[in-house]
Amino acid sequence: MTAVSARTGMTLRLEPQPGEVIDRNRPLEFTWNGQRFPAYHGDTIVSALAACGERIFSRSFKYHRPRGLLSASFLDPGCTVQVGDEPNVRGAHRRVEPGMVVSAQNVWPSLRYDVKSVNQVVGRFLTAGFYYKTFIKPQRLWPAYERVLRRFSSGGVVAKDSAHGYYDKRYAHPDVVVAGGGPAGMAAAVAAAEAGAAVLLVEEEYELGGHLRWGDAGQLEALRELRAAVAAAPGVEVMTNSVVNGRYDGNWLGIVQRNLPHVVERLVKARAKTLVVAPGLIERPYVFEGNDLPGVMLSTGVRRLVNLHAVKPGQRAVVLSANPEGDAAIDDLARAGVEVAKVVDGRRGPTIQRATGSRGVQAVECADGTVVDCDLLVTAVGWTAPTALLNMAGDRPVYSERAARFLPSLLPDDVLVAGGIAGDGPLEQLTEHARAVGREAAGRAAETARSLCAGIPQIAERRAGPPDPEPAVALPELPVEDHPALFFSGTRGFVDFSEDVTAKDLIAAAEEGYDSIELVKRYTTVTMGPSQGKLETVNAVAVLAAATGRTIAETGTTVWRPPYAPITLGALAGRIFEPVRHSPMQPWHEAAGATPLVAGAWIRPDSYGDPAGEVRAVRSGVGIIDVTPLGKFDLRGPDVPELLNQLYVNKWSRLDVGSVRYGVMCAEDGVVLDDGVTGRLAEDRYILTATSSGAATVQEWIESWLQTERPDWRIHVTPVTTAYASINVAGPRSRELLGRLVEDVDLANEAFPYMRVRVGRIAGVDGCFMWRIGFTGELSYELHVPASHGLRVWEALLERGADLGVRPFGVEAQRILRLEKGHFIVGQDTDGLTQAYGAGLGWAVKLDKPDFAGRTELVWQSRRDDYFRLVGLQPVDGSVVPPEASQIVLGRGIAGRITSSRMSPTLGRSICLGFVAPSLTGPGTQVTVRLPDGGEVAATVMPQHAHFDPEGTRQRG
Amino acid sequence: MTAAPDGAPQEHPSWLWRNPDPKPSYDVVIIGAGGHGLATAYYLAAEHGITNVAVVERGWLAGGNMARNTTIIRSNYLWDASAGIYEHSLKLWEGLAEALDYDILFSQRGVLNLAHTLQDVREGIRRVNANRLNGIDAEWLDPQQVADVCPIVDISPDTRYPVLGATYQPRGGIAKHDHVAWAFARAADAMGVDLVQNCEVTGIDVDRGRVAGLRTSRGPITAGKVALCAAGHSSVLAGMAGLRLPIQSHPLQALVSELLEPVHPCVVMSNAVHVYVSQAHKGELVMGAGVDAYISYAQRGSVHTIERQMSAALELFPIFARAHVLRTWAGIVDVSPDASPILGLTPVEHLYINCGWGTGGFKATPGAGSVYAHTIASDAPHPLNAPFSLERFTTGALVDEHGAAAVAH
Repeated sequence: MTAVSARTGMTLRLEPQPGEVIDRNRPLEFTWNGQRFPAYHGDTIVSALAACGERIFSRSFKYHRPRGLLSASFLDPGCTVQVGDEPNVRGAHRRVEPGMVVSAQNVWPSLRYDVKSVNQVVGRFLTAGFYYKTFIKPQRLWPAYERVLRRFSSGGVVAKDSAHGYYDKRYAHPDVVVAGGGPAGMAAAVAAAEAGAAVLLVEEEYELGGHLRWGDAGQLEALRELRAAVAAAPGVEVMTNSVVNGRYDGNWLGIVQRNLPHVVERLVKARAKTLVVAPGLIERPYVFEGNDLPGVMLSTGVRRLVNLHAVKPGQRAVVLSANPEGDAAIDDLARAGVEVAKVVDGRRGPTIQRATGSRGVQAVECADGTVVDCDLLVTAVGWTAPTALLNMAGDRPVYSERAARFLPSLLPDDVLVAGGIAGDGPLEQLTEHARAVGREAAGRAAETARSLCAGIPQIAERRAGPPDPEPAVALPELPVEDHPALFFSGTRGFVDFSEDVTAKDLIAAAEEGYDSIELVKRYTTVTMGPSQGKLETVNAVAVLAAATGRTIAETGTTVWRPPYAPITLGALAGRIFEPVRHSPMQPWHEAAGATPLVAGAWIRPDSYGDPAGEVRAVRSGVGIIDVTPLGKFDLRGPDVPELLNQLYVNKWSRLDVGSVRYGVMCAEDGVVLDDGVTGRLAEDRYILTATSSGAATVQEWIESWLQTERPDWRIHVTPVTTAYASINVAGPRSRELLGRLVEDVDLANEAFPYMRVRVGRIAGVDGCFMWRIGFTGELSYELHVPASHGLRVWEALLERGADLGVRPFGVEAQRILRLEKGHFIVGQDTDGLTQAYGAGLGWAVKLDKPDFAGRTELVWQSRRDDYFRLVGLQPVDGSVVPPEASQIVLGRGIAGRITSSRMSPTLGRSICLGFVAPSLTGPGTQVTVRLPDGGEVAATVMPQHAHFDPEGTRQRG
Repeated sequence: MTAAPDGAPQEHPSWLWRNPDPKPSYDVVIIGAGGHGLATAYYLAAEHGITNVAVVERGWLAGGNMARNTTIIRSNYLWDASAGIYEHSLKLWEGLAEALDYDILFSQRGVLNLAHTLQDVREGIRRVNANRLNGIDAEWLDPQQVADVCPIVDISPDTRYPVLGATYQPRGGIAKHDHVAWAFARAADAMGVDLVQNCEVTGIDVDRGRVAGLRTSRGPITAGKVALCAAGHSSVLAGMAGLRLPIQSHPLQALVSELLEPVHPCVVMSNAVHVYVSQAHKGELVMGAGVDAYISYAQRGSVHTIERQMSAALELFPIFARAHVLRTWAGIVDVSPDASPILGLTPVEHLYINCGWGTGGFKATPGAGSVYAHTIASDAPHPLNAPFSLERFTTGALVDEHGAAAVAH
């Protein structure tokens, strides 16, 4: 490889061309495989390399054949490269930038030089059908096979230290989206905008214009006029280097936008009232032996290279032309100084047999037997209509013999087509048709807007969407011209370049019994590569049709799936995964050095460094814990008791104002879903609390009942979890502490007893409510104060209680306290099979209620006794704490598990909750706990869940 | 093209299966030529000598969920009943290529189930402990050990949901789904089973409580026994026999990336963030999401489900941000109330059902096929599928795998 200097490198650069997109005043340099190359702004990576004489840009996936330029577009299968840490970049599309570091992918053993032994060494793995081939006795061969496959993997590279790019999302609600910014798309967009529609015009390339960009003087003039019209039209937003990637129900469109500075990609989620699909046509490769050699190019590829990038594509050319566009390429070649050695007219019978050469085309053997030396073979045999978006809209395009391509059949009302996908004709006819389509799209969008607003009285009168259309006129029909059905010659070449699938592979698959196109696709992987069949599908269908003696129409096509063009995972992911929730007291916790705990969406203090000490403070004096994450719902309305009776297994009809009650919620299968207390603050106002981790589920559950089952109930639900900061004040001296802060509530035991709620002022903060409950088993008050005053109340409690020894405690201390008290935690001490009776909640279940969620299953459970039960357990050796999730075994089987276990600072021994089989539930029963290391310890079943103060005298005091 | 040199392994057989017209009558007709249906036919013939069997398929062979899944294989389920049937299946996987004489690209590269919360950790350890008692290979890994198995997982504590550990089943892995179907199809065909494609069932005839035959788009077929095996459309078929199933059908989406050099050595699943990722032999990343929430028979899903899945995936694997999604698709999975399958007898005599696998059907392919064949042949459930009866939804003896496997099978 010779070094290329920046001064003399661009040896194949042509004189300035009328439509070129390069800026010769802005030269730049980049590196390719470690060597510096010159380029101009506006060059693609590959056009810059081609201008310097490079012809090989990758090695093929399977056979590692050298590959060069084919279509010089986004779809070019041989031009996929690595750019820095970005894999699989389309080198014939991506514009080169100063300092860009580009390298070839899939270069083992090297890009430029064949290693003859490669195919011999691994030949057994490279037979037709390579990837999906069957071997006899595969077990024996598999390890070798997997190693070779791994070595042959041919993708880009992602590195662990890749820089994070910036990705973005946007929602858009245009009236009309036009997919494709060629002449038809531009005309349709302008017409729709002039009819009053808000239009989004999306173009895959860097500029509008489609094939006009590489056209003659007249076409360039038409392009200038169309671009001016787009610029002048009101309400057309143009997105270049962007693509409509998928069409979903209701014209929900995913658009990838790549033209933003500092944003790698943005996913635009557009709800279009009408979609106009105008992607133009994709030139179809021709299948013959040697059709993948560097130097075999499509006519559009040659025309892009010459006219847009001013690069001479070769020295001596043979042209196979079967259409006017191919004929125009001949003129371009002549103008570029390429000797056109022979023109084969595909409209007049036999074409070419094969191309030969080693690292590029050296000669072409024509059907008439002549052999012509050349380094460039240009084919122009026909077109493929990219019907992917139509397919996603439910259309099943039909094959037209006359057009030799698939055409739309039955489109939904909100999807229209314009340009080559709709039919043929001269430019004026196509743009005139597109204008009519654009007007129609605007009209249909207006109709949709009206029907959407019709049901909404407030805005039905207001104008929404574009104004009324002109009186409806039938859309003009585009003619379909006669195109030659040229798909393959007498020799067999590549059908799918990126997957390295040949016509021979397809024929073999058909002979082996894979006669459905879908089976052939999966067996050979044809059309499953990066271009997703946009180049290959029709050729694959044509080859298979011939092999099975059917027509193309009978053979059909495979289903196109989103995305239309590749999108980065980053764009789909966007920037933010999930928000983090903090209580208003979080700054205090952080300053106090609390250990953070990730609890679902919340970050909260696990401890302040000494959980055991925190426990002792609560048992002997007073402690405070931030319980803001507790789910809180403000329920109002006369039918709240009905809702509570439906949601909870216990009864709620007689909950007095000023009282709170503990409730257990079960799902329809009787499995414990959540628990918590609900208090009645006023005649028609209740506060329902849910567990911190269950709050979201409970909210959905409530809404599900109210919206789908009982919309007649007069209930208003407001989630107030973050509206209140919640603090539990627990310990024998909690009343004394609160007495210093609470102003208008009598805290005496008789005036404010256990399981009651009071509304009042705390530390000067109005609008607080507090209830007496006892998760810790101590005298305790749960305070709920307006969130913005949470920190103030928290600090006041610590300040005013300093002489009482008040300490903050974290979730870990609370876990120990509640375990000492035998209170279970839903989700930790229960699982997806724990019904209410198994959790020891039979006392709460009121089967005499006519109905409640889970009643049917609980009736069943109440009649049986074969279920595991939650019990208190104490290891015989009180110094051993069996880890949570240890299994309890009986013989060789599983007979339960430890759900919670801790060393109790209060009792000085280990304590547990656990589930045991029915035969092991009796108090005093010894069970065997299997430790993770295989050892076993004995534990005793206790008479009740509580290990401390089972009578509950402390919390009532 | 390169020809296979002498001594190379034998190429693909010259034919795979016949494409017969349906006969008027069979001993057993299996509805659905997906993985389970084909496996059932194979085991009926191979282990029970029942070969007068047809597998009728509405479309083309294995074109439903078998063509749409993420091919993860593991057996580390929580409950004894689940562990039993999935481990039976995994053992069959381990000898399947040999038994069927067909390379299914079965790669036991190990499966990690990540834990992101203390709750996940408890559930994971519990499952590991239970698995070991059930004779299933299972390990609990701390974050550093997770990184040792899969270096590209971000185990830093700065991620939104830090990796706190993982369960690890080294024998788990992936296989090539199409190969599995074709291998069963070829072997079943070779033993005389008729694989009838493009044959849609339009009715199931029941005579005095006993199944009598089928009406199809290719004519009526009388059948001694009929076995339903049609995944997402189980309820539709069962309805033809007058049965109402406790099944909901949901779209389940998956996607593949473009090819990348080998970078991801195992299978990583994360129930908490709803994603599972592996890298296929060829180099593409294969990813799956949780089910779309709405009920549908349309084989397409919502983009927001994919968006959520990708954001979770990139949280775990930030290096994949620049990789391109090549293709997304959806299958229809039928989900039972306890997230476990229904496999056994029905109230209609000689009509059998295999459905409700949710997102977990692929890994069960050989195991389900073998016990379903047993159930059909002996008109009684095999001990391994006895817990998965239809009656459990009236007796309440559920096998709830929501806790351990609700999302990512």
